Amino acid sequence: MTRALPRLIAKALMRHAARVMPSGEKNWGAAMQNELQVIEDDHVALNWAIGSVMVGYGERMNTLLQTWYARAALALLIGVLALREFFAPLLIFTYRTQRLGLAHFLGLRTAGDDYRRLIPLMDATPAWLPLLWVAAGLLFLVALWRMLRRMDGSVALFFLAFALDLAGAVVAKSIETSTGVIATPNLMVRAAGEVLMLSAGFVLWRMTRKSTVAD
Amino acid sequence: MGRRPIISGQTDRLLAALLKDPQAWQHGYTLMKQTGLQSGTLYPVLLRLCDQGLLEAEWHEADKPGRPPRHVYRLTPAGLAFAREQTAPAGRTINALLGAKA
Repeated sequence: MTRALPRLIAKALMRHAARVMPSGEKNWGAAMQNELQVIEDDHVALNWAIGSVMVGYGERMNTLLQTWYARAALALLIGVLALREFFAPLLIFTYRTQRLGLAHFLGLRTAGDDYRRLIPLMDATPAWLPLLWVAAGLLFLVALWRMLRRMDGSVALFFLAFALDLAGAVVAKSIETSTGVIATPNLMVRAAGEVLMLSAGFVLWRMTRKSTVAD
Repeated sequence: MGRRPIISGQTDRLLAALLKDPQAWQHGYTLMKQTGLQSGTLYPVLLRLCDQGLLEAEWHEADKPGRPPRHVYRLTPAGLAFAREQTAPAGRTINALLGAKA
C-alpha cells in the first residue's frame, strides 16, 4: 500500500500537469503523461510527475506573459515604480525652492501626512542623491519603453535602475540614522516596495527572454 | 561570420545525447536517463528545440500492447548541424567562457 502511494500521487500530478498545459501544447502534456507508464520505479515516477507539473505551470506562465493584458499590467507597474523614484526628488526640490504649497500637497502622501517632519532629512540629503533617484526613474521609463517596443535591453536597464534605487536606499538609510528621522517607518511598506520591484524585474525577464535554445 | 549562439549546459547535454545516434527516435524518459536532466528541465528544452525546427517529434506506438503511444524525438538536419557545431570543442569552450550554466 505504501509502495503504491507515490505512484498514485504521481498519476494525480500528471493528470494535473496535462490539464494546466496551454491549449497549444496539450500534446506535450500527453507526452509527459504517457512516459509515466514506462517508468517502473515509483519514486522516479513521482519526481517525473513533479517536474511535469513545473513544466505545465512554466508553459502556462509563458503563454500568459505574452498576452496584451499581462504586458499592460507590467507596464503600469514599471510606470508606478518610475514615479516612485521621482517622488522624493520632487519633494526635496519643492521644499528647497520654497514651493511650499506643492511641498505640502506632496507631504500629504508621506508617512505622517506632513512634509515638515522630513525637513531635517531633506536638509541633510546631498544634492546628488535626488539625481540618483531621478536617474533610476528615467532608467525604469526607458526600460518600459523598450519593453513596449519589444526591443532588447529592457531587463538590463530595469535592473540597473533597481541597483541605483538600492544604492540610494543605503545612503538614505545612513542619513535617516544620523538625523533620527525615518521617511517610511513601516518596514513592511519598505520591504513591499523592494519585493514589488524584484517581482516586476522577474516578470519582465520571463516576458522578454527570447525563445532560444539558450533557455 | 555568424555569431555562435550561447546555449545552456542543459541544452548542450541534450544535444550531445541526441547526437549519439542522430537517426534514432528517442523517448523522453530515455533522454532523461542519458542526460541526467529532470523532466522539469528536459521538456522545456525539447519544446524550444521543436519550436525552432531543430528537433522533430512524432507519436510512436508503444512497444508493449495496452500502453499509450509515446512521443519520440530526433534532430532535424538543421538541428544536426547546429548540434555538431555546438558540441564541438570550440563551441563548448566559448559557452564555458561566456558563462553558460553547466
